[in-house]
Amino acid sequence: MSATDEKFGEVGQADEKQLKLLMRDWRHGRADRNILQALQDAYVMVFGVVLIGAMLISSIIQAQQSVSGCETDSCLAARGLLPWAAVAAVLAFTLVASRMFGPIVASAAEGFWLMDAAVDRRKLLRGRLVASLAVAFFAGALFSALIATLTGSTLTHIGIWALAGGLGAFGLTAFAAAEQGLERHWITSTLQWIVGLAAVATLLALVGIAAGWLPVAGLEQLSVEFAYIVAGAGLVLGLVSMVVAHHRLRNIRRQRLTAGSSLIAGMQGAAFALDFALVRDILVEHKAKQKGHVRATRGAGQGTTALIMRDVQRLWRNPMPLVVWLGSMVVPYAVQALGISQLNPPISALVLMAALIPFMNSLRVLTRTKGLQRSFPFSPAQIKTAVIVVPAVLALIWGVATTPAFLGALGGEQLDVIAGITAALITAIAGLLAAIRWMSAKPADYGGPIVAIGVGAMPPGMLFSMLRGIDMVALVTLPIVFGLPAWVSLLIAAIAFAILRSGFDKDQMMEQQEEQRRLLEEEKARKQGRSTGNTTKIKVQRSQKR
Amino acid sequence: MGAVAKREVVLTVEKLKKAYGPVTIVEGLDLKVHAGEAVALTGRNGAGKSTVLRCIVGADKPDDGSVKVLGTKMNETNPEIRRSVATVIDDLDFFPDLSVVEHLDLLARAHGIHEPDALVDEVLEEVQLVPQASQLPNTLSSGQRRRLALATAFVRPRRLLVMDEPEQRLDVEGIEWLGNRLREELADGLAIVLASHEPALLKAINAREVRLGEPRG
Repeated sequence: MSATDEKFGEVGQADEKQLKLLMRDWRHGRADRNILQALQDAYVMVFGVVLIGAMLISSIIQAQQSVSGCETDSCLAARGLLPWAAVAAVLAFTLVASRMFGPIVASAAEGFWLMDAAVDRRKLLRGRLVASLAVAFFAGALFSALIATLTGSTLTHIGIWALAGGLGAFGLTAFAAAEQGLERHWITSTLQWIVGLAAVATLLALVGIAAGWLPVAGLEQLSVEFAYIVAGAGLVLGLVSMVVAHHRLRNIRRQRLTAGSSLIAGMQGAAFALDFALVRDILVEHKAKQKGHVRATRGAGQGTTALIMRDVQRLWRNPMPLVVWLGSMVVPYAVQALGISQLNPPISALVLMAALIPFMNSLRVLTRTKGLQRSFPFSPAQIKTAVIVVPAVLALIWGVATTPAFLGALGGEQLDVIAGITAALITAIAGLLAAIRWMSAKPADYGGPIVAIGVGAMPPGMLFSMLRGIDMVALVTLPIVFGLPAWVSLLIAAIAFAILRSGFDKDQMMEQQEEQRRLLEEEKARKQGRSTGNTTKIKVQRSQKR
Repeated sequence: MGAVAKREVVLTVEKLKKAYGPVTIVEGLDLKVHAGEAVALTGRNGAGKSTVLRCIVGADKPDDGSVKVLGTKMNETNPEIRRSVATVIDDLDFFPDLSVVEHLDLLARAHGIHEPDALVDEVLEEVQLVPQASQLPNTLSSGQRRRLALATAFVRPRRLLVMDEPEQRLDVEGIEWLGNRLREELADGLAIVLASHEPALLKAINAREVRLGEPRG
């Protein structure tokens, strides 16, 4: 099919397939090595991944075999409910991710060059739709299977849960894609809330059963039947929505397609640098941009109190993190119910860390660049102290609320009052310190020395970026896990807090050392009666006052 | 502000040297800025204007020489220095979840201003950000963000104002407003150091010019 244009003469109809093939040819033409060569270059990394993967799978199988023998009410409840909680969490996460990124995306270059052409967008985007559905299916299935395995489920049940998670995620992603075509969000948002609440309710039920408040009879069978329903509903929803989504692909705005892609690109860049705090920054900025404006509120207090009161006002403005924080209180009870009370402090501290991070936006902004911090008339330590007041109070409340879990009041190993309170306190402190560390640690220094690795080079700090926060949890909670006295954990926590508060600034310490060395040399020179003044030529030119 | 205050030395830079690797950006710079005086660093791109400003505010450490603010050696973490020095350079960050007006309110309160509403409103009006008062910083245009950065310097007490090309991304009206505002600030005894390529602005504040680097050949 062709048309005649006054300026260009006869103009043909662009073929989407040819355009895509043309792009593929260009890309292949620019590749300087094939996938096999790339893998050969990175053989150390490939070997490492295989080795660690084998170890992980072996550990998972061992855990499955060990837990499958447990027949207590707590274990039965965990086996029946944790996979369901995991599937609900997978589904909620699927909806959040789908809404945030697309789920169908196109790069800025594709948006600019391809979408502008007179082509049928459905043919260009069909592959993207299928890819996003496939990713949702496999990721959902994998995570659900993992949780089912760890709770000691049988192989058949693991398969059923994997199907439920996979098909559920497939169905919801397809539904989100269909909604993307209409640019409608409220249904996916509502669904996301319902499924998220179902996950929390399941964890609460788990605690209730472990405490003996709810009956356990028939739970495992009922739970598996529920998994069949989720899988079936997911499949039907997925197939219907896929057809609808494909039909609507033509109508998706270019901006809607490229926004998700640019978000992914930014997050990918930060993720490759293993800077997960930066990944979060990008998400927070994206969310703020979508929100656009807020109902401005008058601040309160003066000095550092003004910073603290702003954090208090943030709680009302954005209460969602409070809901998550409240939900995180269930975790120590659930872990205790599972019969792994020894590991309760590190596991719960990690969850608390994740729950406290959203309350530390001020800390993040005031430590990532110096410009805004410099505007405030306080020292860095004063600023840090002020902006962690609200998270610290929340951590303290969390510690009090979860003390019964550590005491074993609702099941699991029983501890005496002092030991239980201490364990809860140490867990709360560890979670708080880990969140501070995660939010305020400096990113890897690419200007310093770098270490050669199989696939190039990386700064040493990059490795530690992965451990941000986790290191604090380990430092503070492992002493009590290994049976050392509680004061060891508290002492480590006090030292860690002092360092985190003052900011262990290697550069500044080196500068101070350099300054002292310079002063010493000047003093020596003065005593010897010679000046060390800079006698080099002054390059500054001055003009007269205007 | 009286004549005595105007004679007070607010900023002293002595034999400042800064190099990046083998490239010396600035060497042997001496500078004294009195209260009520404006000093403009000028020169071609790459002459070291921004580097000098970053050393003055403590964002960069000089390789040699010293910077003193009101007789105190520059240490950008010192609360007294932070209280005295307002800066508008390129490293200003914003809270993504606080609106324009909330940023100014917070900053004013942090500096101990008890009822900042009137002051904040006045500054918002001046920088023409009243319609954007409840917007989050990410949704502002680059020019509006520049105005917000300038506003942060005017809602707080200050003895020294350091600005790097404040005219950037401002329209003609904005530059005119800035010139008038800075002239008022000078009359009140503020010391100003700025880097600028805008002759109209420098003329408006009657700035003493310090030219950096070799002239373009």
